[in-house]
Amino acid sequence: MKSVEAMNTFVQDTGGWVASQLEACTRCGMCAEACHFYQASGVPEYAPVWKMELLRRAYEQKFTLIGKVKVALGVDKAVSDQDLEEWSKYLYYACTVCNKCSMVCPMGIDIGSLIAEVRAGMAAAGVVPDDLMAAVNKQVEEGSPLGVTDDVFESRMEWVADEWEEDLPMDKKGADTLVVFSSIEIMKFPTNIAAIAKILNKAGENWTLSSKAREIVNFGFYEGSHEHTKMFLERVFDGAKELGVKKIVVTECGHAYDAIRWHAHNMMDVPDMEITHIVGLIGEYVDSGRIKLKAGALDNGKTYTFHDACKIQRKGGHINEPRQVMKILAPKSFKEMSPNREEAICCGGGGGVIAIKDADALRYQTFELKVAQVNQVGADTVVMSCSNCRLQYTDCVEHFNLDWKVAGLSQLVADSIMD
Amino acid sequence: MNWTEILAFTRGPLFQVALVIFVAGMLYRLVRVLMLGWQKDKVPAKGSKAVGVVKSFLKGLLIFPFIPWVKRTFTKNPVIYLAGGLFHLSLFVVLILGAAHMLVWKSLLGFGWWTLPLPIVDWMAAVGIVAMVALFINRLFNPVLKLLTGPAEWLNLAFVFLPMVSGYMLTHHLFFRYEVMFSIHMLTVDFLLIWIPLSRISHFMFYFFSRAIHGQEFGKRAVNP
Ligand code: HEM
Ligand code: SF4
Ligand code: SF4
Repeated sequence: MKSVEAMNTFVQDTGGWVASQLEACTRCGMCAEACHFYQASGVPEYAPVWKMELLRRAYEQKFTLIGKVKVALGVDKAVSDQDLEEWSKYLYYACTVCNKCSMVCPMGIDIGSLIAEVRAGMAAAGVVPDDLMAAVNKQVEEGSPLGVTDDVFESRMEWVADEWEEDLPMDKKGADTLVVFSSIEIMKFPTNIAAIAKILNKAGENWTLSSKAREIVNFGFYEGSHEHTKMFLERVFDGAKELGVKKIVVTECGHAYDAIRWHAHNMMDVPDMEITHIVGLIGEYVDSGRIKLKAGALDNGKTYTFHDACKIQRKGGHINEPRQVMKILAPKSFKEMSPNREEAICCGGGGGVIAIKDADALRYQTFELKVAQVNQVGADTVVMSCSNCRLQYTDCVEHFNLDWKVAGLSQLVADSIMD
Repeated sequence: MNWTEILAFTRGPLFQVALVIFVAGMLYRLVRVLMLGWQKDKVPAKGSKAVGVVKSFLKGLLIFPFIPWVKRTFTKNPVIYLAGGLFHLSLFVVLILGAAHMLVWKSLLGFGWWTLPLPIVDWMAAVGIVAMVALFINRLFNPVLKLLTGPAEWLNLAFVFLPMVSGYMLTHHLFFRYEVMFSIHMLTVDFLLIWIPLSRISHFMFYFFSRAIHGQEFGKRAVNP
């Protein structure tokens, strides 16, 4: 029975941290207004509190007297396989685990984390949408959901090095910093790789790529499976340990950063090294003067705005660095969307949603919120620091036939570095 | 039994039993949750958890008076914010700053405190009642709340509403004789006290957990909660 597996996971993962938050929920429904999927579609089942309903029921039925009495009296039914199938849609099609809802909940419940926990139950029960699961399995078998095998990795990197004439050190023993790209960058945004290499080289960083830790993407984390999440993290840590680096830098990838920076330590043994994001590193370089940016390089009469990624800004803490950079590059033509920073509206493609074909209609509908936001500031170019957001933006720009440019922050930085 | 005796019973033995059930029930709920165990957070922090917790509670307390960083959700769901906020403010004013209830606290705790003038307390009580009606109507029609509301949620509203209305009628000598109204008020209070540990009204205790967790999670990421 699927529901048994799910229940076991829920029970296993429920400690005081989860329980006290489930107990705190007053079922006031305010979180609904925070969720871009609910805002865009008006479907009540997309309310964040409803997405974690299964976890609440599981908790009550397994841990509380009242819950047991309710089941005995028939007021509540045990969580069933059908429930899981139904919730699978709400959790994977209509949630990017962006945690905006937590900002709005008057009780401050960390709803995003609890929803991720419901996904863990789904993963254990095997009710993850097929498209997403196919990508997970591909990553298990080939090491990458987008087919970045050893050979592909090597040839792509050689090609980037040739094409943009940048030095891309590979498996360099004694390097301080290991840089791990996402497969989206490797396959779809190779300019990002060249750009980041340029920034690191200009800053004089002693860095390397690893043929073992070649891919930061973690589809197990989307899936919610602890086992797969750890498996993919392990590959990165193994590569890092082998090279003996002091620091791991995650490039423009959001959820992977969330997994390795904010979850890994509580799931497994993590080697003692600093883990940071390329945006954080760029901020450090600019602060310390290791790279100098051409002031006003982008003040060309066009308007720029910055899209905050849920996993890098709101959940990653790198909110100020992109602004610091944009204010140097475009002091006159940088405009903020509203709401922004930790309050920002998610792109709608994260959390694995963009990998699920059946979720496309909802994903486009949700992006209309971003269209309105960007048009409000009249931006010509939307800058971001997450390739997953960028994938969503590029796809939606085409879908809605918009005339915006979509740019990665690292790219703009690399283009404006002074010698 | 005449009304004087009923009043004596609802104010005396029944009230005491209800209080004991309330305290014991809440303690049980608290201990149950504490005993589930707390995994140590091993993630290296970027910012200060303590600062996050302080900000989180400030935001929680001030969420009602329009602080800038909640403005956008306020505009999205004004009824719940306004009515919910006013309702809780009213509860606080009447139960803590009203002279009548302060005296109850004094008899239980042994000390009292400064109270607000009666007309203010009285107005706030009326505001609370109106706010509850608004919450009730909102729950009837809001599509998300319809999904979330079962018998337990209706009972929550009812169990809180009854003591408020009966208390208001009591102070204004409406409809019934004083002893009758007072008895009804005490009876509804006794029921509420017993109901709280069985229901989600216990949220006022877990509030301190969830807001602290919220502050830690955002604080450690160096993000404003
Ligand atoms: C630390 C103290 C408390 C906090 C932070 C708190 C917070 C909240 C919040 C955030 C809500 C949901 C939104 C709303 O309707 O405003 C709520 C609902 C509610 N609270 Fe409280 N509360 C507290 C104390 C109490 C107490 C002492 C009672 C009753 C004796 C109470 C009764 C209720 C009721 C009945 C609701 C549901 C209203 C509805 O159905 O919409 N609360 N509370
Ligand atoms: S985490 Fe984001 S997408 Fe998921 S329910 Fe909350 S607001 Fe909606
Ligand atoms: S806003 Fe918070 S307390 Fe209200 S229903 Fe949502 S999760 Fe529960």
